[in-house]
Amino acid sequence: MENIIKREIKYPYLTRPVEIYERQNGHKVVLAHKEGGLVNISSWVKTGSINENDKNNGISHFLEHLMFKGTHKHKAGYFDRTLESKGAIVNAATWKDYTFYYVTLPQGPDGAYFKEAIELHADMMLDPVIPEDEIGPAFTLGDDSVSQKRERHVVIEEIRMRQDQPWTKIYNSTNYNMYTKHPYKRDVIGFPETIASISRETILDYYRTHYTPNNITTIVVGDFNHEEVLKKVCDEFDFKGRENYQNPQFELDKPVHEAKYIELKGKINTGFAITGWLGPVARDVKDNIGLEMLAVILGEGQSSRLYQNLIEKAKDPIFNVVATDFYNFRDGGNFFVQANFKADKKEEALSLIKSEMDKILNNDITQQEFLKAKKKLKVRFAEGAETVSDIAENIGYYMTVCNDLDLAENYLQDLENFTLEELNSAANKYLKLENSVTTVLLPEIDKE
Amino acid sequence: MNKIILDNNIPVVFKINKNTPRYAMCFYFKIEEPEKKAGLYSILNRLFLQGTKKRSAQALAQELDENAIDCYSEMKQDFIRFKLQCLNEDFEKGVEILSDIIKNSTLEEFDKEVIKLKGEIQAEMDEPKSRALDGFYKNIYKNHPYGHTYTKILEDIDSITKDEVEKVYDNLLNNSAKVISVVGDFSESEVENLLKKYFSDVKNTTDAVSKIPVPELKENDLVKIAKDDASQAQIIQGWQVPTIYHKDYAAIMVMNTMLGSSGLSSRLFLELRDKKGLAYVVRSSYETYDKAAIFSVYIATEPKNIKTSLEGFKIELDKIKTVPVTEEELQSAKNNLIGKRQFFTETNLQQASLISFYEDKGLGADFEEKLIQMINKVTTDDITRVANEYIKDPFVLTVLAPQQYLNDV
Repeated sequence: MENIIKREIKYPYLTRPVEIYERQNGHKVVLAHKEGGLVNISSWVKTGSINENDKNNGISHFLEHLMFKGTHKHKAGYFDRTLESKGAIVNAATWKDYTFYYVTLPQGPDGAYFKEAIELHADMMLDPVIPEDEIGPAFTLGDDSVSQKRERHVVIEEIRMRQDQPWTKIYNSTNYNMYTKHPYKRDVIGFPETIASISRETILDYYRTHYTPNNITTIVVGDFNHEEVLKKVCDEFDFKGRENYQNPQFELDKPVHEAKYIELKGKINTGFAITGWLGPVARDVKDNIGLEMLAVILGEGQSSRLYQNLIEKAKDPIFNVVATDFYNFRDGGNFFVQANFKADKKEEALSLIKSEMDKILNNDITQQEFLKAKKKLKVRFAEGAETVSDIAENIGYYMTVCNDLDLAENYLQDLENFTLEELNSAANKYLKLENSVTTVLLPEIDKE
Repeated sequence: MNKIILDNNIPVVFKINKNTPRYAMCFYFKIEEPEKKAGLYSILNRLFLQGTKKRSAQALAQELDENAIDCYSEMKQDFIRFKLQCLNEDFEKGVEILSDIIKNSTLEEFDKEVIKLKGEIQAEMDEPKSRALDGFYKNIYKNHPYGHTYTKILEDIDSITKDEVEKVYDNLLNNSAKVISVVGDFSESEVENLLKKYFSDVKNTTDAVSKIPVPELKENDLVKIAKDDASQAQIIQGWQVPTIYHKDYAAIMVMNTMLGSSGLSSRLFLELRDKKGLAYVVRSSYETYDKAAIFSVYIATEPKNIKTSLEGFKIELDKIKTVPVTEEELQSAKNNLIGKRQFFTETNLQQASLISFYEDKGLGADFEEKLIQMINKVTTDDITRVANEYIKDPFVLTVLAPQQYLNDV
């Protein structure tokens, strides 16, 4: 067998260490043990909207759809039909830093389903045909004479769906305006015009460039014989000498230095707002823990500050919803405050959020809030170790976004060591008002 | 799995899963009394986390969050259920808080919760899909508590008084059937003692009979909802079909899987999405309550495709009624359905939820095994038969789209 480097990581809340194997060609295989009859097989590719430009924005996600359209061995539909008829959940997702494909299924008699799933998954990852008739002919948007509607139209419908979602609309606007140059500014799904016209050759080129051994991590989670499964994965993932690709590095954007405000209108009845800040790179453990804790303290759950102060204790109710979110990305996460409010109370709503942020920046977080947030993050980690698919997703995140699983091993200890001073300094480092971008969506006033 | 009956007649189902860090518990209260105004149970449900005789709303939220105890209640058509989830070491704390919520909620924050609920509904109604679903359920269950959707609640909510909610609470506590389930890594006797300690004074009325009537759909109904800036039309068509208690339950489940619920290989997905490129989301679903169930098909598509989509639905529904399904397709659908059930019952909470759901319905906590046998017995003829018997007029069709596209529907 080929020369493979093996490492072990003690992953919190799992009963056995997780094994990482690095093959000579750079392809990584991660095996994790989880009791139960289900297995999850996934492959994570280090590409997403981060590798896109204005011309091909949306190509990573479009390719993800087209990967399901058959291989030289199996026609379109075979993969879905064969695995779903064994009780599998099959799907994929594309985000800024990665694209991943997964199968979750029962192992079957003597592991037969499991074995077949590895074969079909590897075949799909390595040998997609992306047939012209499945993509459908290129067309001009708005041309009603198009008769052969295929996957291009499916993705355009997905874009339309998102256009109708108020939260998605303002998220995209805020996200776009938080960056100056970095590719993160683009929406992962892209634009209908691009999807309608992009050529098969361009898509295949993109596939060949990015789906290389060093860019792919294959993760298997479940209760199985590790030696056998490793051999099977290595046998099936035969890259046939495919050349590796070194992902480009991008200059990190500086946050805006003056608060930015965008206002949109729609046929709605309430007001929506999202304020966003740029956060730390994914490998900066401390600052990430800091912002994760701040998200809990400010806006997660009924005991959070925003909920208590702006909804529970409000004499004259302005907010319907107010919460926070924090996303981790390789080149810097995003911190968001989201709110829905009475449409005629925009000014009050924004100024109330601002005053809550000011309090945080004045280091007024209590010891009690601090401990609560710590406990919550600990439990969240435990929660993420309950199902084979959650375990796989967490490992996939670490392997692709953080480049390694080492941070997971130490996460609970790092969390334990984190101090209130560090929390306050993270707030002041990232969440200043002048560094924020806000988008508001308000009802359109009909002019009759 | 093991079942015991507490001294106060509450059945408790245990399931032990070794090496799991969190306990999960469900506590069911069956709704036997139909609500007279839309929103009565919803408001009560919200008030359960808004303060007890011992704890203010804020103190409660703080104590739960500080211990990372996940404790909340959910209101469904036939029951209110409490879910509790926490690290093993915090279980007694969790049970104590839950018992306090169940027995001692004060409902003091009534006025505030009414206002909050109204606000949240308004926010939700800005999502086109939510509006379309609201219009669908409100009309397929017209004049019935199952049809008490968000907009129906907005119609009734201002006439609801705190006194009425108190009566509903009292009735639920004292005159309803209850079921508990606990799943995790524990010793049964330990948990049994805890439950006795905290819940032995909760009365279980095992012989209570549901007064919720059987809803009736008399004629076809077309519900049009105009939203002029919608990029997509939202289309839902549904039929009232037999419930979980009916002999055809498994057959309808298999038919639903085949038509539009298996994932990427269902008929609707292949025909309307893969071949015709009409949609990103197209599916069918089968939802059962105690007194009624619905089979429905759903698509979100560019507004100019409304007609093509409705025709697409019709072709597929006609086909399953007239062309016999193959043995192979039937077997695939069964395997899909059975295999996926493992996926949906992977966590302790999912398991606790499912076993108490069955126990509460009087089907027995081990109904899952029986159901799998029932699914395995479904024949190709059963599929053709149930499709013909149940997917027929009357139906409710809901279409949300810009006004100009609604005129021709």
